[in-house]
Amino acid sequence: MDDERIVIMMTSGPDTPRRCATPFFMATLAAAMEYDVTMFFTIDGTLLLKKGMAKTVFPKEGGKSVEEFLNEALEAGVKMTACTASTELHGLTPADLIDGVKMVGGASFWQMTEGAKTVVSF
Amino acid sequence: MAKIRGFELPEDLYYFVEKHVWAKSMGGTLVRVGMDAVAGKLSGGKLNAVTVRAKNIGALIPAGKSVATVESSKYVGPVPAPVAGTLKRANEKLTADPNLAISDPYGEGWIVELEASQWDAEKAGLLTGPDGLAVYKAKLEAENISAE
Repeated sequence: MDDERIVIMMTSGPDTPRRCATPFFMATLAAAMEYDVTMFFTIDGTLLLKKGMAKTVFPKEGGKSVEEFLNEALEAGVKMTACTASTELHGLTPADLIDGVKMVGGASFWQMTEGAKTVVSF
Repeated sequence: MAKIRGFELPEDLYYFVEKHVWAKSMGGTLVRVGMDAVAGKLSGGKLNAVTVRAKNIGALIPAGKSVATVESSKYVGPVPAPVAGTLKRANEKLTADPNLAISDPYGEGWIVELEASQWDAEKAGLLTGPDGLAVYKAKLEAENISAE
């Protein structure tokens, strides 16, 4: 159902750790509420999907890593998509990203948002 | 009340053990649902919020689908319906004190009430009584979950 779809655009990355927990938390929460949730990673957000990167980023010193937040979202059923152009920006190839991420072009983002109930950007 | 691996687990409740949720008939097919003591432990302590979507009140919720969400500083997750039913009401006390769902899980901390679609048939799929709790205990042992 379209009115149950939520799209979350994630632009924050390892340079701003404190901005990297809430987007995943909110995505997990929405999935737990039975919304159909897709995260779209672009700009620096894509770096969080680089293999091994998320476990080195800590929103709070001594707290959970971004990898833990990310895995909780995946387990809750949140779909992860990455903008192809942003991988090129960072010199990444699809093989550099964690499993379970779908590579999409920029136009896919607009298609995702068509008819989505809510679009949030972090 | 039975105590299993340090958790209080009443024998008269029906447990959806995969999700650590309990169900109890309040008479007929009206079924009360809450989190069990194991869920309280797994959620990491103090709950900040228990939320039932207002639009779900009056809606038919299939078994296994979320009737509420719980949030602590360490955890966020669904409370799945142990059986299918029409969501009748949420426990309003949890708005003011969400942690009741953990501190008094079988009393004041119940989460929702459902009008179960097929209580007699579906409760057979839940665990209850001494035999059911023995199965629950084995699961907790296998997963190395205890209250300590």
